[in-house]
Amino acid sequence: MKSAAPQRAANAPGRRFAVVLLALFLLVPLLPGEFWTVVGTEILILGLLAMSFNLLYGYMGQISFGHAAFFGLGAYATAMLFTALKSPDGSIGVPEFLLSLLVGPPVAAVGALIVGFFCVRLTGIYFAMLSLAFGELLFYIVFSWYSFTKGDDGIQGLLPPHYFQDPGNYYYLTLAIVVVALLVMWRITESPFGYIMRTLRDNQRRAAFLGINVRLHMLANFVIAGAFAGLAGALWGPFSRSVSPGLLGWQESGIAVFMTLIGGAGVFIGPIVGSVIYTMLQAVVKMYTVYWPLTIGTIILLIVLFVPGGVLGLVEKQIKARQGRLSDGGGARAGSDEE
Amino acid sequence: MAAILEVTGLHKHFGGIHVTQDVNFSMEEGEQSAIIGPNGAGKSTFMNLLTGYYRCDAGKVVFEGQDITNRPPHWVARRGISRAFQISSIFSKMTVAENVRSAVHAQMRHSFSIFGVASRIGVEETGRVLSLCGLEGKRDLVAGELAQGDKKRLELAIALAGKPRLLFLDEPTAGMSIEEARSTMELVDRLNRELQLTVLFTEHDMGIVFNHARKLTLMHRGEIVVQGTPEEVRANEIAQKVYLGEHHP
Repeated sequence: MKSAAPQRAANAPGRRFAVVLLALFLLVPLLPGEFWTVVGTEILILGLLAMSFNLLYGYMGQISFGHAAFFGLGAYATAMLFTALKSPDGSIGVPEFLLSLLVGPPVAAVGALIVGFFCVRLTGIYFAMLSLAFGELLFYIVFSWYSFTKGDDGIQGLLPPHYFQDPGNYYYLTLAIVVVALLVMWRITESPFGYIMRTLRDNQRRAAFLGINVRLHMLANFVIAGAFAGLAGALWGPFSRSVSPGLLGWQESGIAVFMTLIGGAGVFIGPIVGSVIYTMLQAVVKMYTVYWPLTIGTIILLIVLFVPGGVLGLVEKQIKARQGRLSDGGGARAGSDEE
Repeated sequence: MAAILEVTGLHKHFGGIHVTQDVNFSMEEGEQSAIIGPNGAGKSTFMNLLTGYYRCDAGKVVFEGQDITNRPPHWVARRGISRAFQISSIFSKMTVAENVRSAVHAQMRHSFSIFGVASRIGVEETGRVLSLCGLEGKRDLVAGELAQGDKKRLELAIALAGKPRLLFLDEPTAGMSIEEARSTMELVDRLNRELQLTVLFTEHDMGIVFNHARKLTLMHRGEIVVQGTPEEVRANEIAQKVYLGEHHP
């Protein structure tokens, strides 16, 4: 009886916040002009990438600097099938378009299976470095295999069907797909598997002595995270009308890391909130100055130094502290503050 | 009674140091025994060898008729051998209940279930283990913030959640108050008596050893020096010289 109640109470603000966030996302295309709709689409796609990264970082406790490789693999898989399916005049039907989106996640998952096979043998900085090395390796293959990938020219002309050429309609398509993806991810993080991930984050040796095959579970999670990154990548190509090797590179991976740190890795929707902050800030700052890297560098510095739990981590702390005060002085309450 | 564990000719060395030398050891089902010996005698190493954490250089470990030598820890754990660590090894950012629940899920082979709802699976078993270990009042606390004695109790709870048939406890009462130590060992006795759980523990407190073990094994410098009932070991001259002398004047 006592078991579920406090947890539900703790989840309630999170759920309310998610609903408010969704309502705000639904309203974005009503803003005048197309600018914020386009920015909103970018927020959603990169937010999904960051959310998939956080399955590794926040839940499994391993940091990957090569996660965008699977974003890029998904983007290229979709772009190639898209190009093959479109008619000579450059147009594509809705079924063919949707089919080309579907191919992104499985291709990225296969890539993640191969890369993950090696990465899950390591932890900590070694895991991070190996993921970076594989990311750069895949980037370089795409960059130099001109006959297959068109090298650094990238693949152009990914014009979606007429209906989805309207930024508002593409935005709502993206929103629908991202919301479904996040619901699935939520289920996974709240499943027994999701909690096994947390045990691996906290103490791998202990988990092994409970009968958990550590590497196999890490690999499964790596593949799941890769598939969601691939889904984000699939949405990217038709959105920007092209794909290029840079999508697989370490800078793109770094964006997922930044977003997660800004929003908060310890809260489920932290990375997507991080994406809202990062992408909007970028859009605004770039209007006034070319010093975007300097700006974001400073922000990350401040976050890491003063708000290590990210923006949502800070909010969660405040809520818990208030709940602690409200529920009278009923004994010492651990877990209210301090990490 | 049949032997549940049979160890023959076990060897392990780190570089030139032999930490386990020609150890022959066996346990019968339902037995409760202790390994004693000075610091560095090889007690923890021995447990690490039995549970697959270290690889043996030579020898054989058979559990319930199955060869488990040099199998990985998760494989050994799935056969029914569980362990609790000397320095409590828990999932510190998860709550007490989540710690035990995930151990229950692992035992129920639910660790790969990605669409089940964790909070609704294995609830009964989780509650049973928590109350068995006297932790039901602390179930929603974050494990890393527990007092030392409670951490050790959670350590034991996690080990029990795996429904083991053979349980290794490495200094189960280290860091506990006298009262906590007493109730923990009473629990161990009860598990052994009522559930026929075979228990092997190490312990420095000779009062606990002589009260709770029916068989003793004294290790010294990686070798077994004496084996027998508490009375036999107490009376043994070598045991007196090597270890007991300093503890039991």
